[in-house]
Amino acid sequence: MGGRSRVAAQMLAGKGFKQVYNVSGGIKAWKSKTAVGPQTSGMDLFQGPETAKEFLVIAYSLEQGLQEFYLEMAGKARNDAVKDLFHKLADIEVKHKDQVFERYQGMVDPEISRERFESMVTVSALEGGLTTKQYLDQFDPDLSVETEVVSMAMSIEAQALDLYQRVAGQVTDPDALNVLQQIAKEEQQHLERLGKLMDTL
Amino acid sequence: MKWMQFLTPVKSKNFNETKQMISDHDPDEITILDVRQPGEYKDSHIPGAVLIPLAELSDRAAELDPEKPTLVY
Repeated sequence: MGGRSRVAAQMLAGKGFKQVYNVSGGIKAWKSKTAVGPQTSGMDLFQGPETAKEFLVIAYSLEQGLQEFYLEMAGKARNDAVKDLFHKLADIEVKHKDQVFERYQGMVDPEISRERFESMVTVSALEGGLTTKQYLDQFDPDLSVETEVVSMAMSIEAQALDLYQRVAGQVTDPDALNVLQQIAKEEQQHLERLGKLMDTL
Repeated sequence: MKWMQFLTPVKSKNFNETKQMISDHDPDEITILDVRQPGEYKDSHIPGAVLIPLAELSDRAAELDPEKPTLVY
């Protein structure tokens, strides 16, 4: 179901839940009594960012991915409310990208240009990354069904929220912590808005 | 754009394993967590499941017992 339960299980594991399991196929499997839906194979390569530098590069690619996802989905959506919200969310992700870049300048390299930073993001992502299409294929949402698209968006936002909250727990610099918490809060608001949108579909 | 593989590993249980796990435990020894929206929960859910929509999970995780086996869907 757009991977919401998988991300939820991951969030709980990060909060110290010792035995947490994602029910593969979700309620669909329960209803049809067969295992359906995406598997988690191949998704376990990432060990978590070790340094502020690594984290900020990941955060930037995540924000860029979210922005691209929203723009692509906004183009496909037939429902005006979905289209409208996705455009708004894409705009906010642009703002997050700016903030992440400023943090990188503040914490790692004050001299770096935006172009050079973005090329690092691309290189880093190419090393072990998935294209947006491959990423979507992993979850295999039915993109003609608006609830699946919104569910997918919620999974990615929750993933971002989880990443920011985990890193915020390790950051001591008050300015950096402030920015991380602010971005995390905004991703959480996105989740709430997407949840409300889901209720209307 | 290429996505980082930022997803950390999570154990999965399929339908049969889930069912087995529920029948092997008393209802108060296990948490079945539904992270969908209230409307979806109302429509249908696994008997005994607790509802915490994904958007609320990071604030409300403290309502759950981290020591209990937890099945999420």
